[in-house]
Formats: sequence, structure tokens, C-alpha cells
Amino acid sequence: MKGDPAQELVVFTEALKVPVQERAAFLEGACAGDENLRHKVETLLSAHDRLGDFLEEPPSGASVE
Amino acid sequence: MGWPRKDTYLALCPKSGENGGGVRRVDKACSGTSESDNMSDATVMLAAVEAGDSKAAEQLLVLVYDELRRLAASKLALEAPGQTLQPTALVHEAWLRLVGDQAPSFNNREHFFRASAEAMRRILIDRARRKHTKRHGGGYQRIDLESFDLAAPAVDDQLLAVNEALEKLALEHPVQAELVKLRYFAGLTNEEVSEVMGISVSTAKNYWTFSRAWLLNEMEGHDA
Repeated sequence: MKGDPAQELVVFTEALKVPVQERAAFLEGACAGDENLRHKVETLLSAHDRLGDFLEEPPSGASVE
Repeated sequence: MGWPRKDTYLALCPKSGENGGGVRRVDKACSGTSESDNMSDATVMLAAVEAGDSKAAEQLLVLVYDELRRLAASKLALEAPGQTLQPTALVHEAWLRLVGDQAPSFNNREHFFRASAEAMRRILIDRARRKHTKRHGGGYQRIDLESFDLAAPAVDDQLLAVNEALEKLALEHPVQAELVKLRYFAGLTNEEVSEVMGISVSTAKNYWTFSRAWLLNEMEGHDA
């Protein structure tokens, strides 16, 4: 829970714009030695790769039985 | 945030009364206000919310919650079994019914959609919890005034898991959690969300992508 949550969002968003093979170098620079931030962003990027259509469908499961 | 008055309120308003034209405020119970009263109720409340009246915000939520429940029930009463409801359609219909062509300011619209997203979340989560309890042997009998039900256990469980993760997201990223509510529970598009929240469409898209990754990670049990 340490760190600035806004940083996490900014670095994650910028990292997605960078080609995959250049991301490590990008994170190195963007996180500037903040290992906690880097770990968080890397975890989120990995979740992003698995997103598929997660949450894209509205919970319209309300139906007549 | 609790919802303590709902059961009392429902008990006061049997389903047979729910097809009347009116939306009743809790403090008026079932006294059956006329359609025009209700419309001005909504616009007056929206203006009060805009002016920073937190009590009005609570009343607006109750009004919208009740209207959405009623719309859902009456829609489904007309549908064949297996039909589903679209939260987006319900929210837009509630807007037309409660505010209609009274052309409130843009900011008022924002408050309405925020209240709708929260109301829709509560409706869906309450139902999913109730069904979850029933499935797991919570054998208490309850008079269920709603005629619709969530389709499959998987849908309930996903909803409850998303909701739990969303509460955690709100602690660290409240703005992004609000966006998830508007998109996922009220079914607004990125364009509508950007209007309601006063951000650009590309920012709305960025927040949405970030939030989905954050929530998926949380639901998978990793630390972020």
C-alpha cells in the first residue's frame, strides 16, 4: 500500500504504449529505482495480458427464471 | 454504506401497488404522489444535489433505486422466461421517466447517472447475495417482491467477486472505481462516462483499462 497510487496509473498507462520488447527499459527509467512501483506496474501489465473480455459484458444476468 | 430502510419500505409497498404511475419517496411511503410531483421531485433533488446538499443526494439515490427496481420488475413481468435485462436500458428509461424533457443542466445529468450506477450496483449485488445465501443452505423464507432473478450461479459469484474487488480499488483509486461503477453497473459507454465525469474519452479508456487489470489481478489473488 506504499507509494503514490497515481504513479501506478500513469506508468501503467504509458507502458502500454511502449512496444513489449522495450517495456523493461521503459520501466527501468520510469520507476527510477522505485522497486515497489515497478513490481506493481509489472503485475498489472501481466494481468492486462490476460484480460480478454473481462468486465466488457455488463452484468445483465437479471432474467426471468 | 448501509441500506437500512429498504426492507421496511418494501414491506410498506406490496407489489400490486408497484404498477401505479408514481415513484414514492421513502418519507412519503406509499401515499401515491402524482406523476408530475415525482418529476419535479427528481429535478428539485438534482438541483439540490448540484448545490451540495448531501441529504438530497441520499434521497435521489432512494428515488432512482426504487424506480430502477420497479422498471426491472415490470419489464420482466412482460418477458418470457430466460429473457435478460440490460442495465443500460433501465438507466436510460429511468432518466426519461424521472426527469424527461425538463432539460436539467448538464451537471444534473451527471448526478443522476452517478446515483443510477450506485443504485444498479446495490440491486444486482443484493440479489446475487440473496441467491448465494439460498444456494448455500440459508433456508430462511423471505417474501421476494422482485419478479426477476439472476440467471446463473456463475453470474452471481462473478458479480460478488467484482464488487468486493471494486471496494478495494475504491480505497486506492476512487476516481477509477467510480468509472467502473458507471461502465459496469450502469452500462454507460466510454463516451457517456467521459461526459459524466468531465474527462476526455481517451482518459476514460485509460482508466477503464487500468481498472480492469487492477480488478482482475485482485480477483486472482495476486498482490498489486
